[in-house]
Amino acid sequence: MKLRQSLHEAFLLIIAAVFLGAAYTFVTHQGFFLKTQAVQPAAASTMEMITLAAAKDLFESNNSIFIDARHEFDYQAGHIRGAVNIPLKMFDAQFTLLNKISKDKVLIVYCDGAECNSSIELAVKLTDSGFTNVKVFFGGWQEWNSAGLPIEK
Amino acid sequence: MKSFFSNTPIILLARIFLGGLFIAAGLDKITDVQAFANSILQYKVVGQLLSMCTATILPSLELLCGLSLIIGFYPRGCELLMTVMLVVFTMLIASALYRGLDISCGCFSQDPNVSKIGYQKILENCGLIILSVWLLLVRNQDINFLHIFRKQPEISR
Repeated sequence: MKLRQSLHEAFLLIIAAVFLGAAYTFVTHQGFFLKTQAVQPAAASTMEMITLAAAKDLFESNNSIFIDARHEFDYQAGHIRGAVNIPLKMFDAQFTLLNKISKDKVLIVYCDGAECNSSIELAVKLTDSGFTNVKVFFGGWQEWNSAGLPIEK
Repeated sequence: MKSFFSNTPIILLARIFLGGLFIAAGLDKITDVQAFANSILQYKVVGQLLSMCTATILPSLELLCGLSLIIGFYPRGCELLMTVMLVVFTMLIASALYRGLDISCGCFSQDPNVSKIGYQKILENCGLIILSVWLLLVRNQDINFLHIFRKQPEISR
């Protein structure tokens, strides 16, 4: 009897949550009702992904800026030599720094490695801000560090 | 010991604690549904459609359950759902750890670099599962704010 009552109550709560969630996202234009194109993994398909070899070539050409999308703590622990730290959540705060960079400059964004999405999300934000040459180094810090390429702490 | 676990203020505090946690978790997720959908995707268990469905419903469910548990509306249903949710969350975290994923939990913050998954998170969840199961098994389900503020009928002498 208690289990039946619990299941009945749980069912009603789920139904209420479905309606509430749908109504909330509809009113706030989020989720399925998103009006403007926001940051989402699907955007990964539109971003240019580069391999370690390509990232290394660009690094050696000295004609690009590496952007570390990780948390400041991780950046301080070690990052690609010369990389600028712009954590995803700090994007708006770092806008003055970004304004100093030419819009057609090659920007290579990276995060921890293949298991994080912040590099893609930051790359999308940079592209939305007008930067025309943004690339994502998807292998990120882990691949770069494992390859023994130049880093700094 | 038995009286401690059936102590009314203890049960009430446990409900407020668990309910408050779910409200906090739900509020963070509902403010940025897209970010929460991204957090779900990082677990690599479901596709984009299902992650968006979950991101739409789960924050509301957490908020509803948290509020309902505290005020005492459908307490048994809340406790059952909370237990199921906690078990599923814990299994997902354990599975992600087993597969070597270095991702953020997405539990109380959608910042990709905050609150990475780990064994500590599993232990925390196990504690919460024990708490929710205990509340589910507590006989007196009337211990809540609704019960406290409900006007008690006067006993005629």
